[in-house]
Amino acid sequence: MTSQDNPMGKIYILPKAIKTVVRDAALQSYGVIGLAPGNVRQSFVKMFDEEGDYGISVASDEHGLEITINLIVEYGLRIKSVTDSVAESVKYHVEKTMGVPVTRVNIHIRGMRISDED
Amino acid sequence: MKQFSTTLPDEAERHKLLKSPLTGEGLILLFEAGLIWLTTNQEYVNALNVFPVPDGDTGTNMVLTMQAGFAEADSKRSKHAGEMAKTFAHGALMGARGNSGVILSQIWRGFSRALDGHATVDQQLLTKALQSARDTAYRGVVRPVEGTILTVLKDMTTAAEGASKTMSTLSDMLVTLVEAADVSVKNTPNLLPQLKDAGVVDSGGMGLFYIFEGMLRMIQGLSLDTATNNVVSLAQLDLSHAMEQVEEGQDYEVVIDFEPNKSFLLEQYYQGLEEIGVSIQVGEGEGIYRMHIHTELEKRYEPIEFTETHGIIKKVYMENLQDQMNHRKESEIKFNPVHPGEIAVVAVSPGQGLSRIFASLGVAAVVEGGQTMNPSVKDLVAAFEDLPTDKVIILPNNKNIILAAQNAAKVSVKQVGIIPTRNTPQGFASMFRLMPDGDFDEVVESMTEAISEVHTAEVTTATRTAEIEGVKVKKGEVIVLYDGKLILSEKSLDGAVEALYDHVDMDEFERVTLFYGEGMNQSAANSLADKTRENYEDLEVEVHDGGQPHYQYIIAFE
Repeated sequence: MTSQDNPMGKIYILPKAIKTVVRDAALQSYGVIGLAPGNVRQSFVKMFDEEGDYGISVASDEHGLEITINLIVEYGLRIKSVTDSVAESVKYHVEKTMGVPVTRVNIHIRGMRISDED
Repeated sequence: MKQFSTTLPDEAERHKLLKSPLTGEGLILLFEAGLIWLTTNQEYVNALNVFPVPDGDTGTNMVLTMQAGFAEADSKRSKHAGEMAKTFAHGALMGARGNSGVILSQIWRGFSRALDGHATVDQQLLTKALQSARDTAYRGVVRPVEGTILTVLKDMTTAAEGASKTMSTLSDMLVTLVEAADVSVKNTPNLLPQLKDAGVVDSGGMGLFYIFEGMLRMIQGLSLDTATNNVVSLAQLDLSHAMEQVEEGQDYEVVIDFEPNKSFLLEQYYQGLEEIGVSIQVGEGEGIYRMHIHTELEKRYEPIEFTETHGIIKKVYMENLQDQMNHRKESEIKFNPVHPGEIAVVAVSPGQGLSRIFASLGVAAVVEGGQTMNPSVKDLVAAFEDLPTDKVIILPNNKNIILAAQNAAKVSVKQVGIIPTRNTPQGFASMFRLMPDGDFDEVVESMTEAISEVHTAEVTTATRTAEIEGVKVKKGEVIVLYDGKLILSEKSLDGAVEALYDHVDMDEFERVTLFYGEGMNQSAANSLADKTRENYEDLEVEVHDGGQPHYQYIIAFE
C-alpha cells in the first residue's frame, strides 16, 4: 500500500488501483499482445477472471514503486525497443495519475505470439 | 542536398529509375527520399510528440529506424525490388528505436512481404504492399488507439484501394497517398483527445506523411533539404545574402506568393525567371510558393506576368531596391566580437528588431527562428562552431527549441550551456547577467535565475476556434498568452491588451516593454504605450520594433 499526506489526511493507493493503470498502459503499448500470469496464484486468478490483476506485481518502499510486468509480445519485433517503450509508458502513466514515483519497472517476457510466417 | 548514399543519381538518372514498374534501384531511391525528407523535418515531428509519453523523440526514433533500414539496403543493393524491400525491412527491424520506430519497422515488414518474389513493383502491387503493411502493423497491438500512425497508414491504404483506376503513374499514386495522409494527420486530434488538448497532430502519423511526401518530392524534382512546415518567411529567404549581390540595373525587388498549377515544374519556372532578373529564390510550404527576384526598372512587372502562367497569384510585394538598400545600410546589425576564452552567447530570435536588441546586449550571434520556424540542430551548431571560443551559451527563447539546443550541445565538442528561456524577454533578462570572462557554471546559473525576473505576454491572432484551459477562443480573435499560458481572447487588439493589464497585477511591476511585430506600425504601438503610461503612472514604458512574425506584441513585465 502506498500512502501520501494531504492537508486533510492520508491518501492510500491500493496495489489493485496501480495495477489497473499499469495494465492499461502496457496493453496500449505497441507490440504487447497480452499479460501472462507471473506465478501460480496469478494463474488461478486468470482462470476465473480474464480481466483480473494477473501478470503485474507492485512493491513499494520509501523511494517509490517497483513494478513487475509479465508480458506476451508479438514475434518479429525488436524486443528491446518494445520493452523500453512499455517501461517508459508505464512509468509515465503511473507517475502522472498516481503522483507516486516509480523507481523500477521490471519486464519479463513470458511468451511470444507468432501471427504469421516469415 | 544531404546525401546518405555515396552518390545520389543525377536528375536524368533519377527520372529513369522512378518510372513504374519500379526496380530495386528505384525502390531504394524512394526509401532514401523518404529518409532525407523525414530527417529534414525531424525536429518538427519531435515537437509534436505528446502521445503516449510526451518525450519529444518520435522524429528522431523514426529517422534512426529509417536510417538503419537504408544502411542495410545500401550495403546490399539489388535490382530486384522484392529483395531490396526485404533487406530494407530487415535493417529497419534490427535498428527500430522507440514506439514509433517499432511500428514503422512493422510497416516495412508487411510491405516487403507483399513484394516477396517480385522483381518489379507497379501501383497494384504497391496497393497490396500497403494492405499487408497495414495488417501487419495492426497485429502488433491488442488495443489499437486511433489517431496515431496506424490510423494514418490505414487511411492511406483505403485511399489507394479506392483510387486504383486513377493511378496510372507512380506519381499519381503518391499524390493520392500523400493527400490521404495529410487529411488523416489533420484529423488525428479529433480521434485522440490528448492531441486535441495539446493542440497538435499525431507525431508518428506526421512522420509517416513526411516519408511518403519525400518520395513524391523526389519524383517531382523538388528539394528535400529545406523544411516546409510553413511558408518560408522573407527572413528565412536570407535576403541579406541577396542584398550583397545588388548591382546596377537591379532596381526592384519583387516577391510573389502563388499557388502552382498541377503541371508546375520548378526547374522550368526557374529557367523562365533567370531571363527576367537575378537573385532568384523560391521557397514553398503548404502548397504555396514564394518567389523572390531582383529586376531592372522596366522589367519589374514581368515576374508577375510570368508567374501567372505557372499558377494563381495570391500576393505581390514590390519594393524599390536602391531605396531599401540605403535604409538597410543604416540598420545593419553589429554583433559583439568574441575574444578567445570568453563566453559567447548565441540567441534564437524571431525578428530583426529583436535580433538588434540581442546584439546591443552583447550576443555574439543570432539564429533566426521562433514559434513556427524552429532552427535545426545544424543551424544552431553552425552559429557558434566558428566562434573563437570553446565556451558557448545558447538562449533558445522558445520552448520548442530547447530540445534542439540540447542536441546541439550534445553534438558539439565545445562546452555548451543552455539557459532554458521560453521567450525573448526571458532571453533579454538573462543577457543582463552575462559576464563574458566569468566562471562558466556560475554564469549559466546566474543567467538561468534571471529568467524568473521577467513575465511575458504574447499577443497573437487565433488560427482556429477552440477551448483551451477554460478560455474560449474564436478563430481570428486576438489571444494573449501570459508566461506561456493562454489567459484571454478578445475581439480587438487594444481590448486584448487592456484585458491583459487587468489580468496581471500591474502594481507589482516597475517597467513594461512593448515589442511590436512584423506588419504593425510604430504609431499604433506608441499610442498604446501612451495609454499605458496614462493609466499606470508609476510604470516606465518602453517601445521597441521587434519585427517578430505572428505576434503583434510581445510584452515584458519587470
